[in-house]
Amino acid sequence: MADLTSINPYASGNLSGPPPAVSRFWQMHHRQRIRLWGIAFVLPTLLFFAVFKYGPMMWAIELSFNSYDMVSAPRFIGLDNYRELAADPIFRETLLNTFVYIAGSTILTTIVGLSLALAINTGIPGARYCMTAMFLTNLMPIIAVCLVWRFLLHPYGLVNQILQPLGVGRIDWLTNSWTALPAIIMVTVWRFAPYFMVVFLAALLALPEDYYEAAELDGAGAFRRFIHITLPLLMPTIFFVVVVSALLCARIFLMPYLITGGGPGNATRVLSMLIYETGFSYLKMGQAAAISVVLFAIMLVFTAFQIRLFARSEQVYM
Amino acid sequence: MASLDTAASPRNANSLLRYLPNVRRAAGLVLLGILAFAFIVPILWMTVMSFQAGEKMFQLRTEWIPTVWHLENYPNALSRAAFVQYFVNSGIVSLIVMIGNVVFCTLAGYGLAKFHFRGSGLVLLLILSTLMLPLEVTLVPTFLVIHKFEWMNTYQGLVAPLLIDAFGVFLMRQSIMSIPSDYIEAARIDGAGELRILLQIIVPQCLPALSVLAIFSFRDSWDQFLWPLTVVSIDKLRTYPLGLVQFGEDYGNPPTEQMVIAVLATLPVFLLFAILQRSVNRGFGLSGLK
Repeated sequence: MADLTSINPYASGNLSGPPPAVSRFWQMHHRQRIRLWGIAFVLPTLLFFAVFKYGPMMWAIELSFNSYDMVSAPRFIGLDNYRELAADPIFRETLLNTFVYIAGSTILTTIVGLSLALAINTGIPGARYCMTAMFLTNLMPIIAVCLVWRFLLHPYGLVNQILQPLGVGRIDWLTNSWTALPAIIMVTVWRFAPYFMVVFLAALLALPEDYYEAAELDGAGAFRRFIHITLPLLMPTIFFVVVVSALLCARIFLMPYLITGGGPGNATRVLSMLIYETGFSYLKMGQAAAISVVLFAIMLVFTAFQIRLFARSEQVYM
Repeated sequence: MASLDTAASPRNANSLLRYLPNVRRAAGLVLLGILAFAFIVPILWMTVMSFQAGEKMFQLRTEWIPTVWHLENYPNALSRAAFVQYFVNSGIVSLIVMIGNVVFCTLAGYGLAKFHFRGSGLVLLLILSTLMLPLEVTLVPTFLVIHKFEWMNTYQGLVAPLLIDAFGVFLMRQSIMSIPSDYIEAARIDGAGELRILLQIIVPQCLPALSVLAIFSFRDSWDQFLWPLTVVSIDKLRTYPLGLVQFGEDYGNPPTEQMVIAVLATLPVFLLFAILQRSVNRGFGLSGLK
């Protein structure tokens, strides 16, 4: 750009000899201007988050100390919303469900994701096509996932058809309070494991090959190579997957909402569903905000881990 | 070299063992194929059912190849509710969200990766900490904010809270950090403006990360159910997930036609993935995969 050459002496091509004092002034000015550009690039995102993330969260904390139904003005009631929640058996059951769901889904997703990645990484020709096929489950619209699985888990659905020859009786997956939550965890694993497979695969491909060559020379078998080389080197990735998976599962809404509607009873109700119902079905905005604060506290713990990981990570994760 | 090895080995006598590596590979491929197939069975089931007669869905034995292909399920499903309108709405929202993410996450990612202003570390922390504030957590107050703006039942209202995601910012920052700063300095010395550096030097080098960002931000807003459910109450602005759930609840709509809508909803995401696949694989760091 021609107009800049008049400002920046380095652009004019006269770089012979030490720069005169005048140019040092311009250079400083130039650096500052570049810094301003950097701030300008970040600013829209910060403003956006101020309006749609931090602002609402502060509002939620404030609302949680109020009674508010969107008709009359908010009324300050102190900790009553939280006291009510603590005494509410439905809230307690929901909280427990959320923890069971997060733990179950995260553990299984991590194990299945890692196993799939190891299977793909064996170097079998055609493995990448298998990977792409499996990854499609992660791209299918979540609403289609929920509808399809609701039919597949029907007493006369495909899952029972497949299990029948194995001697398993017909299971009412979604109407039995013992199987409903595990069924939803299974759908979650089906949905998320292929995504984490990709994350694990990227980590596996980046592992240094000479360790394996050395181990092979020493006569270490495949299993020992996995335990003593792969697993320790993968630890940061495993930790990352656990944290991200837990964050994804903590906010789950559509799967229980559509597949079981939170039932039978409250067996599959999770916190995000309770927030929606309390706020928009019963118009108890203050109480819903209090549940939001609880969910926020859970997310805060996982995010703290995640940010520490991000600060150290060199690889690009999504 | 392999032939030398086998010639020297006493195992050479057993000709079956000589092919062992190949046998193991073939067995591995078969096992892996079965595994992959097991994962995509629900997708196949959905597709087959969208061509089936209504009563075939709850048969004791799934009929994988329809005896009669009911192609008319497709026009029937689309005409029973305003699904064309719903898909258009979803498309508009998802495209705007995707473009918003691509633009703003690239800007912010560049700003955080290559500019060192005071407080840039804090800014990164502030941005990353919004990961603990997904819409599910801030649902009630975000609804109240949109209500205050009087954006209920508008496209702005549907799009606004989804426009930027912290994951995208981080992804772009990581990707841009790997571009040598010398390129940028050289361009500055040549007199290139900051926006031109961004467009002509940074963007072409982080296309894989941009592809990953594009497909995930498109998918996430295409999937979005809770937010439209909260902010939209008129039929004209419904997105297809809302329409589809309503369609399933209305009495008498055949479930096969729900599968039709599910198939049609799946196509755009798969299509986008097919277009971007090569680049997405590189963005994930899978270019080394055989």
